[in-house]
Amino acid sequence: MRQKGTLGWLKHDVTHRGITAWLLTGALLAFYLVLYFTDWLTPIAKSLGLIHKWNLYGALYTLAIVTGGIYVIAKYRDNRYQVIRTSVVIFVQSTLAFSVPYVLELFNQPAVYLSYLWPLEISILYPKNLASAPVYFAVWAVVGSILIAPILGIFYGKRWYCSWVCGCGGLANTAGEPFRHLTPTSQGWWNFEKYAVHITLVLALLTTGLVGASYLIGPEQSPVLASYANSLQSWYGLLVVTILSGIVGVVLYPIGGTRVWCRNFCPMAAILGLVQKFGRFRIRVKDDMCISCGMCTTYCEMGIDVREYAQNNQDFTRAACVGCGLCEEVCPRGVLHLENEWDRDPQESLTMGALLEESYK
Amino acid sequence: MDYTIVGNGVAGIEAAFKIRERWGPEQASITVISDETDYFFSRTALMYAYMNKMRRRDLEPHDRQAYERQSIELVRDRVVDIDADDQSITLRDDGRRDFDRLLLAVGAKPRMIQWPGVDETDDGIVHLVSMQDLDECERLTWTTDEAVVVGGGLIGVELVECLRFHGVDVTFLVREPYFWPAGLHREEGEMIQQHIASHGVDVRMGEELAEVIPGSEGRVEAITTDTGEEIPCQMLGIAIGVTPRTDWLDSTTTPPSCGRGIHVDRSFQTDLDNVWAAGDCCEIDFGDETRVETIWYTAERHGRLAGLSMLGDDVTYDPPVFFNSSKFLDIEYTTVGTVADAPDGSKTLFRRMPDEEITQRIIVDEQDQVIGFNMLGSRWDHTILQQWIRERRPLDWVRDRLSNAQFDVEFGRVPLERMNEEIRRL
Repeated sequence: MRQKGTLGWLKHDVTHRGITAWLLTGALLAFYLVLYFTDWLTPIAKSLGLIHKWNLYGALYTLAIVTGGIYVIAKYRDNRYQVIRTSVVIFVQSTLAFSVPYVLELFNQPAVYLSYLWPLEISILYPKNLASAPVYFAVWAVVGSILIAPILGIFYGKRWYCSWVCGCGGLANTAGEPFRHLTPTSQGWWNFEKYAVHITLVLALLTTGLVGASYLIGPEQSPVLASYANSLQSWYGLLVVTILSGIVGVVLYPIGGTRVWCRNFCPMAAILGLVQKFGRFRIRVKDDMCISCGMCTTYCEMGIDVREYAQNNQDFTRAACVGCGLCEEVCPRGVLHLENEWDRDPQESLTMGALLEESYK
Repeated sequence: MDYTIVGNGVAGIEAAFKIRERWGPEQASITVISDETDYFFSRTALMYAYMNKMRRRDLEPHDRQAYERQSIELVRDRVVDIDADDQSITLRDDGRRDFDRLLLAVGAKPRMIQWPGVDETDDGIVHLVSMQDLDECERLTWTTDEAVVVGGGLIGVELVECLRFHGVDVTFLVREPYFWPAGLHREEGEMIQQHIASHGVDVRMGEELAEVIPGSEGRVEAITTDTGEEIPCQMLGIAIGVTPRTDWLDSTTTPPSCGRGIHVDRSFQTDLDNVWAAGDCCEIDFGDETRVETIWYTAERHGRLAGLSMLGDDVTYDPPVFFNSSKFLDIEYTTVGTVADAPDGSKTLFRRMPDEEITQRIIVDEQDQVIGFNMLGSRWDHTILQQWIRERRPLDWVRDRLSNAQFDVEFGRVPLERMNEEIRRL
């Protein structure tokens, strides 16, 4: 039951798909349409002394993460995992994802975003971009995306990226905190998720491969390939990068929960999820202590039915799990524990079948 | 074979799933009858719905389709008669029904005392045990500024926390000299007391409810305590424990033998043929003593074992080392073994973190063998603590290895070496 008074009504309404939640979604959609498809924000950015509208967007995004982050740190102040993780999120966003590229731009250097790796930021591995980027960044883009990200995933799970570094996850875990319980947990969503996220991954690989091949072969040698590569690149850019990650991911917070993009479409999350399945990260369940209250499932932003594992005394590693640690935090009986360990409960299955059918339902 | 289960709480549902695990729908039809809700829900989570942390639907531990997939028929009705000789029950709305095997998993109801004025009070007295209790609490909270909660146990604290969430001024009447002597020693009890008070609750230790004063509309308007003080309140929460639901059985054709609860043996069979009982409603005969166990974990265990017993397995209930858990507002609590009722001559090691609400108590018997743990304010793996009790480890051995059983979040491990220690003989 909601709290009394107008504030109680508002708090409940905006976080439970009420009229204000829909209005907020409408406002976010309007903002993103203006941002992506008009230049109306450019004069505002310039009048604030910023270089272009994307600096303004970056500043707003960072502000949202910092403010939301302070709220989250205050809310979970007794949980050091949450405090440290959220501090890192705030730090990465305000430096690597905002001030570093901005300062570089001020000094007329190419802006580089060190915290965005391929395939989330697909364009950094396009050969044309690699060739024109500063050498240190080109090296980081290749080594970071292909080697470091998966290796860290093996040792610490996908959480090292998805809920410690990434800006999409960063916004979800800070400003998105009041909406995390809205993520749907139904069987239908699981069916959608497992196809959608892997289809996007295949598309990302295909696009990168085709653009790379076309560059290596040379557009003059194979104009047909070049035209396919071009159109795939621009379709992927519009559909996946702009619409799904840029717009839909945030616009749907008040309606569909915070990780719509991460859960259903992010190719980076898909790769790291597969890696995580074979790595050390898992959630340990304390045997026989679960009271089936369901706080964990309610607050899982990835729509994982954590309770089903907990009440079955089963340790688990789900590919989707971003390791935000909120299930562990909200559990009133301290049943769940995030950890990185090689030794596994023999119940944990590692087959591909288990991966595809890992939804507990 | 027709398996009929009365009660869709954790014991009943666990039994149903256990039976289905063995027999498919062709061999066994399974029916679960409940008057409370359409679907099994987690009773322990009622407080989270009350506090707007969960929606009602979130309280259901299983996907609704799971019952259909498992061919478990759910019936919303009330059993009004049992005829074990005829192997039939009678439902209030739907009449007679045959069974081959019957499980009574009807749970417990809030204990109530007929204080003066209770009979004249039609509205405003609440509990927090059933879904209907939650409905009542929510309905009344809108028009409540002050409330009194009676009973210093686990549900009492939950009710206090919920009412505080809704901005209600709460007076908490606890009969005992310190909080919850049934589970805690004095130091911990006083710490919890202070913690509750720090949330803006007026905690009255050693005070009891004397009289309930209804207003002109019949709704509670105030209460008086045994010190004669009158405290205005629009809600009166009673949380002084629960008792097995047995009274309805008296009027049935073949009432099973009942004492404090429905008598069962260690295979959960009642004295009636083909009738079992499990969960909070039963009183289990262990030979030298009988026990009524009314916590979530025991009900879950009873349900599974009763299911096996109904399948014809040879079941002997042998309870593991006792454990339970709870949360007193922000303070998590894990208990294992024998603590509050430790025998005279036991020795306790009490550890407390300076300036923080973190304590541990380890109890050893006269032979210096560990028998119990009470851990507050940090997380513990109770399975390791249980193992140490089974292995009868000595106090020093346990204390040196305490960190092996810590279950705190990453980066958040409590520094045990900073704690103060005190040894006392009981």
